[in-house]
Amino acid sequence: MKQPTILYVEDNEYNRKIVRQLLGRTSYRLIEALDGESGVAAAFEERPDLILMDVQLPKMSGLDATRMLRADERTQGVPIVIITSFAMSGDRERATAAGAAGYLAKPYSPRELLAMVRQFLPEEAS
Amino acid sequence: MAASALTRSPVNALVRWVAGIRASLHTKLLAAFGIVTLLFVVMAAFGVHTIVETTEQARLLDLAHQRVDWSQQIEQALARQMQFSVLALLSQDEAAIARILRENNRFNELLAKLDAVEIGEQHALVEQVRVSQDEAMSVVADIANAIRDRTLGDVTGALLAHQERLDAEIAARVARLVDAEQRRMKALRDSIAHANRELLVTTAILSVSAVVLAWLCGFVISWSIILPVREAQNFLDHVATGAFEQRVVLPNRDEFGALAERMNRMSEELQKLDRMKVEAASELAQLNTQLERASRAKSEFLSNMSHELRTPLNAILGFTEMMVDGLYGELPEELKDPLNDVQTNGRHLLRLINEVLDLSKIEAGRMELALGDYSVQELVASVRVALRSLAEEKGLDFRIDVADGIPIARGDAGRLTQCLMNLAGNALKFTLRGEVCIGAALQGDELVYRVSDTGIGIAPEQIDNVFAEFRQVDATVTREFGGTGLGLSISKKFIEMHGGRIWVESRVGVGSTFFFSVPLRVGEAAT
Repeated sequence: MKQPTILYVEDNEYNRKIVRQLLGRTSYRLIEALDGESGVAAAFEERPDLILMDVQLPKMSGLDATRMLRADERTQGVPIVIITSFAMSGDRERATAAGAAGYLAKPYSPRELLAMVRQFLPEEAS
Repeated sequence: MAASALTRSPVNALVRWVAGIRASLHTKLLAAFGIVTLLFVVMAAFGVHTIVETTEQARLLDLAHQRVDWSQQIEQALARQMQFSVLALLSQDEAAIARILRENNRFNELLAKLDAVEIGEQHALVEQVRVSQDEAMSVVADIANAIRDRTLGDVTGALLAHQERLDAEIAARVARLVDAEQRRMKALRDSIAHANRELLVTTAILSVSAVVLAWLCGFVISWSIILPVREAQNFLDHVATGAFEQRVVLPNRDEFGALAERMNRMSEELQKLDRMKVEAASELAQLNTQLERASRAKSEFLSNMSHELRTPLNAILGFTEMMVDGLYGELPEELKDPLNDVQTNGRHLLRLINEVLDLSKIEAGRMELALGDYSVQELVASVRVALRSLAEEKGLDFRIDVADGIPIARGDAGRLTQCLMNLAGNALKFTLRGEVCIGAALQGDELVYRVSDTGIGIAPEQIDNVFAEFRQVDATVTREFGGTGLGLSISKKFIEMHGGRIWVESRVGVGSTFFFSVPLRVGEAAT
């Protein structure tokens, strides 16, 4: 059975480290990308089962990357969770409009993040 | 149309010349009337002159008639005188002499009359007649003497011949006189007829030219008024459509000239104002663009700040939580408390950041309400759930009191929750014992929320400061209870954005009740 793969697109090293350590205890396989463009490239190549996408990214914003992935047939069906640090009114609406399946506001609690991941991608009983 | 016809006519030059005369309209009109009046006077004077002339001619004619009459009478008197002379000679009667003398007297009388009015060549003729007559009279005297001396028979032939010769001479002279008088009368009549004809022509010419001059006066004066009025109308029409660069040009140097000058000055002022307005508008537009750019920059700065502040905070809170959750292994007992403090302070920092950013967004006018339907009951309950642990920690009674039957409300539930959280959080913070209660009730179309406590209360003189930014009732309170002092002013602004208001009733040592009211259905017309 193929190991469920999660792509995390985030430019901040410490936030990547948190997710890396959080998922290190689980059966998920984690791929990381540092900006919007490489995130999209990684998604096309690796075909992950879930994508966690930060909004403010270098080179290409998370929302633009999401729209791009939604438009491509290879990644059309992959659920994307948008993580935003703006928490302004309308952010959730913009995320949904771009095609996100979930929305998480920074600062998120690792517990919340794990719960959201499990909601989209139930962990297989090993 | 008439104006354009006039500009081409030669009268136009005259109209422009009259308009250009440096005199008031009043003077010009008076002058025009003066000219017409003068024409009347000239006509009248000419009439009087004509009457006098005609009267004089009639008198002269009369006189000529009389002279002709007199000379004819002289002729008759002479004829009779000759008759009587012949008679005297034939009858040899002295009585005939007396008759001759009577006729002679008449003759002389008439001759004297004629001589009195006579002039020039006639005078000499009269004198000759008189000389001949005197000679005739001496012959008559000879006849009379001869009759008296009875010697007539001897001299009758000679006397008769002499008398006849004289009579013929006198008769010829008198005939010349009569003829001369008749010629003179005819000449006079001719000259009168000629003068009358001339008078008629002169009168006709004078009348026609008077009428023409009067019309010309009226025409020129009226056009020197009508033209500037039309020009002014034209000019004002242009000004009314905003063509302030137009100038009115008039030849007038009267009231209209002064008016045109003022109109031009007005137009200049308007043009200046218009230019200033355009400049001000462009400056304003520029300023607007700058402001917009500044506002956009501020907004961008805010979202960047938001991201930059939250990202490290996310890491701090994330690592702490994972430590507390034992992700890195069993947590030593002595680290539990400090890690708890890190979490508490981290969350507090997050709230402070949120408040500062919220206020900045409100100040920048970037805050918008996300309106939607919500349940008042659920909203109040969610606030109680969120703060319940805090109340429990302090051992406070924490209850809710929402009136039954409040319909589904409309507003920004997130922001209203934030307001209630803030008020209830403050109430819990400032209350050491007793209770905190969150309530809601419907008053007409207004939804009134309230948060009451049995806390320290607010002094009357401090109440006005409660909703001001960066203010807490007392600086010492900040140290004791914490907080930025922004919560209430942010809440106030959110409530005002909903079209509502916030107020407080408080007694020191007894407790405070904060109220805020918002329309039940925000953004929908009140029914």
